[in-house]
Amino acid sequence: MMAQHKPLFLVITGDGINCERETAAAFMHAGGDARIMHVNDLLAAPEKLAAYDGMAIPGGFSFGDELGSGQILALKIRHGLGDAFARFIARKKPVIGICNGFQVLVKLGLLPFPDAPARLCALAPNAHGGFMDRWATLLPQQSHCIWTAGIDKPLRLPVRHGEGRIVFAEGRAEELHAQLAQNGQIPFCYDADINGSYANIAALCDPTGYVLGLMPHPEAFMHAETAPQAQKQQPGDGFILFDNVIRHLQGQEKIREQRIA
Amino acid sequence: MGKSVTPAQRIEISERSASAGLAARIRQAQEFFGIRLTGIDEIKVYKIAADHPPSAAVLHEVFADPVLQKLHMAADAPAQTPAYIAEISFRPGVTDNAARAAEMALALTGHQTRVASSSLYMLHGDMTAKEAEKLAQEMLANPLIQKIDVMTYADFAAQTRFDDVQLPTVQLAVAAQLFDTVDLHIDDAALEKLSAERCLALSLFEMKHIRDFYAKPETAAARAAASLPAAPTDVELEILAQSWSEHCKHKIFAADIDYTGPDGQTRRISSLYKSFIKRATADVKKDRGLDWLVSVFSDNAGIVRFDDNIDLCIKVETHNSPSALDPYGGALTGILGVNRDILGAGLGAKPIANTDVFCFAPPSMPHKGREGDMPQGPKSPRQILEGVHKGVEDGGNKSGIPTVNGAFFFDDDYAGKPLVFVGTVGVMPQKLPDGRASAEKSILAGDIVVMTGGAIGADGIHGATFSSLALDENAPATAVQIGDPLTQKTMTDFLLEARDLGLYRAITDNGAGGLSSSVGEMAQMSGGAKLDLARCPVKYPGLAPWELMISESQERMTLAVPPEHLEALLALASRRGVVATAIGSFTDDGQLHVEYGGKTVARLPLDFIHDSLPPLQLPAVWDKPRARSAWRGGARADERQTPPAKITDALLHLLATPNITSKEKWVRAYDHEVQAATHVKPFGGIHADGPNDAGAIWLYPHGGARKSTAVVGCGMAPRVSPHDPYLMAQYAVDEAVRNVVAAGGDPDMLCLLDNFCWPDPVQSAKNPDGDYKMGQLVRTCEGLYDICRAYGAPLVSGKDSMKNDFRGLDKSGHAVTISVLPTLMVTAMARGTAGIACGSDFKSAGDVIYVIGAPGASFCASEYAAQFNVDSGAPLPLDMPAAMAGYRNIHAALQSGLLQSLHDVSDGGILCAIAESMIGGRMGADLDGMDARTAFGEAPARFIASVAPDNIQAFELAMDGTPCTRLGTVTNDAILACGDERTELPNLVSAWQKGF
Repeated sequence: MMAQHKPLFLVITGDGINCERETAAAFMHAGGDARIMHVNDLLAAPEKLAAYDGMAIPGGFSFGDELGSGQILALKIRHGLGDAFARFIARKKPVIGICNGFQVLVKLGLLPFPDAPARLCALAPNAHGGFMDRWATLLPQQSHCIWTAGIDKPLRLPVRHGEGRIVFAEGRAEELHAQLAQNGQIPFCYDADINGSYANIAALCDPTGYVLGLMPHPEAFMHAETAPQAQKQQPGDGFILFDNVIRHLQGQEKIREQRIA
Repeated sequence: MGKSVTPAQRIEISERSASAGLAARIRQAQEFFGIRLTGIDEIKVYKIAADHPPSAAVLHEVFADPVLQKLHMAADAPAQTPAYIAEISFRPGVTDNAARAAEMALALTGHQTRVASSSLYMLHGDMTAKEAEKLAQEMLANPLIQKIDVMTYADFAAQTRFDDVQLPTVQLAVAAQLFDTVDLHIDDAALEKLSAERCLALSLFEMKHIRDFYAKPETAAARAAASLPAAPTDVELEILAQSWSEHCKHKIFAADIDYTGPDGQTRRISSLYKSFIKRATADVKKDRGLDWLVSVFSDNAGIVRFDDNIDLCIKVETHNSPSALDPYGGALTGILGVNRDILGAGLGAKPIANTDVFCFAPPSMPHKGREGDMPQGPKSPRQILEGVHKGVEDGGNKSGIPTVNGAFFFDDDYAGKPLVFVGTVGVMPQKLPDGRASAEKSILAGDIVVMTGGAIGADGIHGATFSSLALDENAPATAVQIGDPLTQKTMTDFLLEARDLGLYRAITDNGAGGLSSSVGEMAQMSGGAKLDLARCPVKYPGLAPWELMISESQERMTLAVPPEHLEALLALASRRGVVATAIGSFTDDGQLHVEYGGKTVARLPLDFIHDSLPPLQLPAVWDKPRARSAWRGGARADERQTPPAKITDALLHLLATPNITSKEKWVRAYDHEVQAATHVKPFGGIHADGPNDAGAIWLYPHGGARKSTAVVGCGMAPRVSPHDPYLMAQYAVDEAVRNVVAAGGDPDMLCLLDNFCWPDPVQSAKNPDGDYKMGQLVRTCEGLYDICRAYGAPLVSGKDSMKNDFRGLDKSGHAVTISVLPTLMVTAMARGTAGIACGSDFKSAGDVIYVIGAPGASFCASEYAAQFNVDSGAPLPLDMPAAMAGYRNIHAALQSGLLQSLHDVSDGGILCAIAESMIGGRMGADLDGMDARTAFGEAPARFIASVAPDNIQAFELAMDGTPCTRLGTVTNDAILACGDERTELPNLVSAWQKGF
């Protein structure tokens, strides 16, 4: 059997990002390779980005959530990495933004309407007004996102955020939500109202399905040892997202049943 | 005047829809101040000074999310006219994290600016000006650190606030000279006055000790040779005051004590620390031949080896005085400070878990009709609770460190001073890439002193000496600081990178006492140090050398860098956006030599700083229990209710008390799972709302073995102190050990940390029963030593805080002293095995419910006795060898999978523990009838367990002589049946989830 090419992922860190290690470990556990790079080193040499097969903006509190979560890191990426990042995305390299990374992608305008002239969607403070750490049930929706392809049962993942409530531009929520649903850009909804998010949206992808943002933390549930209750079977529910993208990049035919069973 | 004025802009950011956080304010205004708000809006204000002002487009891009917010550059009329407006801004020099972030954000768009942030609160509703002022002063702001302007909307609208924009600026009077010389040849009263006025916290003896040192001919000769005045400089006096503060030097634990015990015999104890704490560890190590103690009592944290690849370090600190004055800032700087202790342990460890334990007055205080008895100065119990909680939340969450374990304990005697214990566990590889042992520091003469992290300001001057004084209403505002988690996080990332590159040889935290302590202590490793304070980065000009030397401005570490690595270290710092500055070098001439711009401002022999002070001489007595020194505002026995006739009624009452009720709402605000390694979480059970007893971190993601965990738990029993401090210490240790055993910890691979928070134990006219408090301390140390020895558990780190009294006025103007209960908080960390802990929740109908542990319990110091009027009796002694044997048996039973559930019995006794196990599993229980003392009496060394019918025989065999008594069975019917009494499970759930 020929050794599979190991896709190489860039996981950025610095400025208060704090989930870089577990995010890199998740790619490696699923059979990929990952490098953690300080965002300043990337900005100093944006051409380095082209050497990677995919990229993750991990969770954390970039710039302490000041001026709105994800806001300043988004400014930094827009002003410091702009073109290189746009080319990366245009070449359909998979990108995932988890929690604070999701907030960055939304503030950058890459999610969920990259072609809109002004932002139409935001992640606002939770309806109850504070940070929460709890586990949530995610219901997979009709979507063409490559990260979530073929998931046909609910996932349990931890959510840990203070600003995870999806809101749309005033007066346009119904129309924009319908458009996203129809385009298959809502890979996951919560099974209940946990933070006031519109239609319980937990994740959004871009129209290509290659750029995913989600509030729950798949990288935090790769192993039975971090399950919320005693659990014997491996792996955790987050594994399938990383496995999906690696198999996608490897061009492998997906043998869904085998992995879900 | 020649002073250039930079033009400044003002922008205001309003939210498009009301925030939920503000709805909570409406509730608080009603509940705590009796003021009815109909609405409240917050508008963020930024004042931006720039030579080239950013355009409107840039301001919109940086400051406003178009979906959520509106940006105003001129006065727009609000949709609804408020009754009053409160503008709350930071006082000059106070850390303003939002402004700092805004400066960074504007810099990304090419604008160099100076920014200040503030908030406008629009208060809607029918209220008086006085009420609006009260809400602003007491609910929205902290006058110690913030400037508060309350005005009517008409007055506010009449301002030209967008035209005449002023940024707060620190204006320091620059002294003509670099230092003052301080004449100590004055009479005793004048020496004491000098110490008090300069906030030195030096005793008369210590002042004279300094005077005598300067009077020596050899000192005079050395000073003349160095062109220094004969009398001490203010820089020198401040260095000595910091180094000799109780906070830094732990003089009480090092004192010579004449102790008279209950037998009437008096004996001399030379240093409680050496006689009990250090000796306990040495004796346990010898008894057991322990080989896993890597570094104890010598570094910023204790370091132990529970794994083949990595070492763990752990430290617990207190931050009581700062949290009383500014609950948010005090707790935030506390947690960030203990994180830095871990970063400064060995060559640096990565923080992987936080713990927090709070001792507060109940949030329902003041008691009805006794508002006037509350102390003037400290914030209200509710504000302290909310502020401290938010500080710990931001400190942990924003640093990416999971908060995995903690406790809230409420008692009226914490109304004068709250206790805030914050702890951190860190991980380090045993060997660094260059082969050096991570746990070992070294410094050679010639190594460069590098300060990294934040810049120095006037914030935090006299923190160490202030915390060594009793709290009063005149506490200095400069002792209050606000932490900056972002600066610390970026510094932490940088330092761990520099560690792995081998760029420094030693590292320590800049905590209490600032550079004076960090460099002063590090200098002992090489034999001296020479600094130039003019090189220190500052937040603003005008700080005197003595202020630079002792400022406790946060987020700073000090490094010893080999000269050949200096360039690489500074270059890495610059790439990471972290400030690092060479400020001097280590020497071997035996001196701490401080210059400013090349001029000497202090020169002190290290041996005089560190080794010259003789121990204090203190009397101590413990003859018998004495009644708690109740203050007028505290709970009164005659106000307690008669115990309910029915056991189930008492149970429902107890489940809802602050000490027992669920803390889930508070705990879920902490990220307890970041770093993706939290194995046993704070809550378990089918709805993840049943309490677990301890936290466990899976070590595999941190480089440890596949199944290895670190289990962290805590214990304390302050209400036992007035009865017998000896038992109080043992109850505390036992509870900590029990908790970690329940979460899968190995009782034979376990270390302990001791944190003492005491009322002033130094006898004086002001403190007439100081000898008794000292006696309580001695007896606590005796109890601690004995149980460490009996359990074979070494102490690896600890801390003491010795002046936890409020001396001042109550709100009616009467003089009042409020002392905390003598409190020993014990933290246990054990090596654990992933997958063996079964959780506290009942699992299946038919499982047999046991209480494990010796039969018998007492109402003494129980929650039942705190609520109901009962004869409480004496605390029960602890049979230590039997308890430890039981823990070994339980650990073996967990490894064999014989238990379905296991839960520590603590406040509220066995029936409260059973109720919690029922709630976790949403199962019923059918119990034999029991009396109130059996149900709610308290005693150490007990668990509630449930066992599947098939395993009963194996379980009872495994207990091997440890008493275990069948109490009943788990049922499916959602009912608690206890003898003839019944109550439904939903009643238990709603009582327990009442919260506060």
